[in-house]
Amino acid sequence: MDLPQINQFLVKEINVGIIVIDAEAKVKFINQFVLSNTDLATDYQEQSLFNLFPELPEKWLKRKIESVFTLNTPAFTSWEQREYLFKMRHTRPITTENDYMAQNCTLLPMSNNADNQPELLGFIIEDATDVCFYQKQLSQTVEKLEISNRTDSLTKVANRRYWEERLAIEFERAKRHNQPLSLIMFDLDKFKNINDTFGHVAGDTVLIEVAQNVAQNLRQSDLLGRYGGEEFAIILPETDAEGALVLAERIRLGLAMHQIKVDEGTVIATLSLGVICICDDYSQYEEMITRADMALYQSKRDGRNRTTLYQA
Amino acid sequence: MSIPVLICDDSALARKQVKKSLPQGWDIDVGMVTNGKEALDYLRQNQVGVLFLDLTMPEIDGIGVLEANKAEKLVDFVVVISADIQPEMKSKVEGLGALAFINKPVNTEKLSVILKEYGLL
Amino acid sequence: MIDIALTEEQRDCLQELINVAMGQASDKLARFLNTFVHLNVPNIELVNFDSLPADFTENYAQQNLSVVSQGFYGNEGIRGESLLIYKVNTLDDVAKILGYEPGEISDNEQLTDISSILTTTFLNGLAELIENQLSYSAPRVVSSATSSLDDHLKQLSFDWDLALKVDISYMVTDYSFDCDMVLLIPGEAVKNIQLVLERILKEY
Repeated sequence: MDLPQINQFLVKEINVGIIVIDAEAKVKFINQFVLSNTDLATDYQEQSLFNLFPELPEKWLKRKIESVFTLNTPAFTSWEQREYLFKMRHTRPITTENDYMAQNCTLLPMSNNADNQPELLGFIIEDATDVCFYQKQLSQTVEKLEISNRTDSLTKVANRRYWEERLAIEFERAKRHNQPLSLIMFDLDKFKNINDTFGHVAGDTVLIEVAQNVAQNLRQSDLLGRYGGEEFAIILPETDAEGALVLAERIRLGLAMHQIKVDEGTVIATLSLGVICICDDYSQYEEMITRADMALYQSKRDGRNRTTLYQA
Repeated sequence: MSIPVLICDDSALARKQVKKSLPQGWDIDVGMVTNGKEALDYLRQNQVGVLFLDLTMPEIDGIGVLEANKAEKLVDFVVVISADIQPEMKSKVEGLGALAFINKPVNTEKLSVILKEYGLL
Repeated sequence: MIDIALTEEQRDCLQELINVAMGQASDKLARFLNTFVHLNVPNIELVNFDSLPADFTENYAQQNLSVVSQGFYGNEGIRGESLLIYKVNTLDDVAKILGYEPGEISDNEQLTDISSILTTTFLNGLAELIENQLSYSAPRVVSSATSSLDDHLKQLSFDWDLALKVDISYMVTDYSFDCDMVLLIPGEAVKNIQLVLERILKEY
C-alpha cells in the first residue's frame, strides 16, 4: 500500500465522521462513518450541506463557517453545549438512552499551505455518546447526593447545616437590600413524655407528621429545617414581625387541632414558638438564632403552647 | 552626504528589525529613541530626514509625535511602522501627515517599495 | 521546578511578538465582526505557578466569573493552555457582537465561540511570527456561576510552572466587552519558547 492508499483506507474505516464542504457550503466529501450512520444517498456531491442535513441550525452555523474561512482558524462544538450537530445514529443503541449520537465537532480550515486562505472546510465528528451518557448519570447521582446531603433523613426537611447556610445567605441579602427577614424557632412540648408513653417509633412518627403539618403553611421561598432533637426552625424571607407572628399562630393552632395517629393511640402535639425579625443592630445571623431561642424559652416558661415575639 | 534617519520604537527588537530592514547601500546615519517624548526632543535638536515611527509607546505615543510634528514641522518624511493595522488607524495617521504606513513585522521589501516611491532611495 | 526567568532581551522580544500578533488578530476580528476593534497594548507578565492563584483571588475577588480554557500545541515542543476570563455581567453583548440572534444559542456556547475565536486568531498570528503552526483542543467552560476558578487552577498547578499572563482588553464599536487572556505554559515548553526567542534575537 502506498501512502495515499493508507490515508484513503483509514478515512474509510475510522470511527470518526468527516464531511468536507467549500465556502458556499457545497458538500465535497462524506466519509463512510457518516454514510453508515445516516440515511444519506451516495450522490451527495455538490449538494448544499443544509439540504442534506435539514436539522442544522443554519444561521448560527453559517456564521461559524464564515469565521473559519475568514479567520483561518478552527471552530468547535461540544456535546456539553449542543448535544449533536448532525443527526446520526450512534453505536450504543442498547446501553444508552440518547436518541442521536452525541458529538464533539471540529470545523477545520483546509488549504494546501497554512499561509493561504482556506479552500475547504472539514467537519471532524467524534462520537461522544458514551461520555455524554456517563456524564449525565454522574450529574444525576451528584444531584441526588447533594439533596441527601442537605436533608434531615427522618423528617425530610432541611438539616441544620443546610438551614444555617441558607440563613447566612438570606441574612446578607436582607441586609444588602434593606428588606425584612424573620425567623420562627419552635419546639415540641413535652416530647419526652410522648417518647416515654408511646415509644421511640411513635416519637419519630410525631416528628415526621409535625414537619409535614407545618410545611403546609409555608411559601416556596420559606425554609423549614430540623434544628436538632424536637426543635425546628423556619426562615421567612421578606417577612416582617407582624407577618411572622400571624404565621406562627397559624402553625401553632393548626397543629393543636391535628390528631397524630400512632400504634398505641392518638397524640396531640403542641408547640412553643419564638419569633424574631431582623433589625439593624444585628451584624451576624447567629444573633437572630440566639434571640429567637430566648423568645421560644419565654413561651415555655409562660406555660407552653404559645408564641412569643422577641422584643429588645 | 548621508541622510539622518531616526528610528523610534519602545521595543529593542522592533528597533533592530527596522534597522536591519533598511536597504543595504543606502547612505544614512541612524539614530534611535525609545518613545515619543525622546523622539520630539531629538527632532527639536537635530535635523532628521526620515522618521520611522511606532504608534503604541509609553510617555508620548506615535499619534502624539505626529500631532506635534504637524504643528512644528520637525521632519518631512514619517513612515509609521505599526502593529495596529486596522484601516481606521491607517487613515488616521495619514491624516496627520504620515507618508506611509507599514504593517509590523517590517522587512526590507516593504521598506524599499515605500522609500523608492518617495524618491528616497 | 525549573528556572523560568526570561532575560530582559527575551522579554522585550516576546512583548513585541505579542503586540504584532495582537494587532494582526484585531484586524482580522474587525473584518469578521464588521466593526472597528480597539485594542489596548497588552500587558504581559510572567507569573510563577504558586503565586497565580493568589493573584487571581486578588484581581477577581467577589466577582462572578466565567472562564473558558483551550489547549494548544505546536512544533518544537510549544504547548500550553489559554484561559479567557470574563466578568459575567459583560456577557450580554457577546451574541450581538458575534451576529447571532438573541436566544439562538446558550450562554456557554456564546462563551466558547467567542473564546475560541479570540484565542485561535491571536495564537495563529503568534505562531506564524515564530514560524510555528498550532493545533487546538476544543474550548471548555471550566468555571461559571456554579463552579469555581480556584478548583480548576489547583488542579492545573501540578502541571505548569509558568503563566504568561497577557491582559487584553477588546473594545468593539457600539458594544463594550472586556476579557483577560492568560496563557499557562508548562516548564518544558517555556524552555522551548526561550530557544525560539533566542533564535529570533540572533537574526537581528
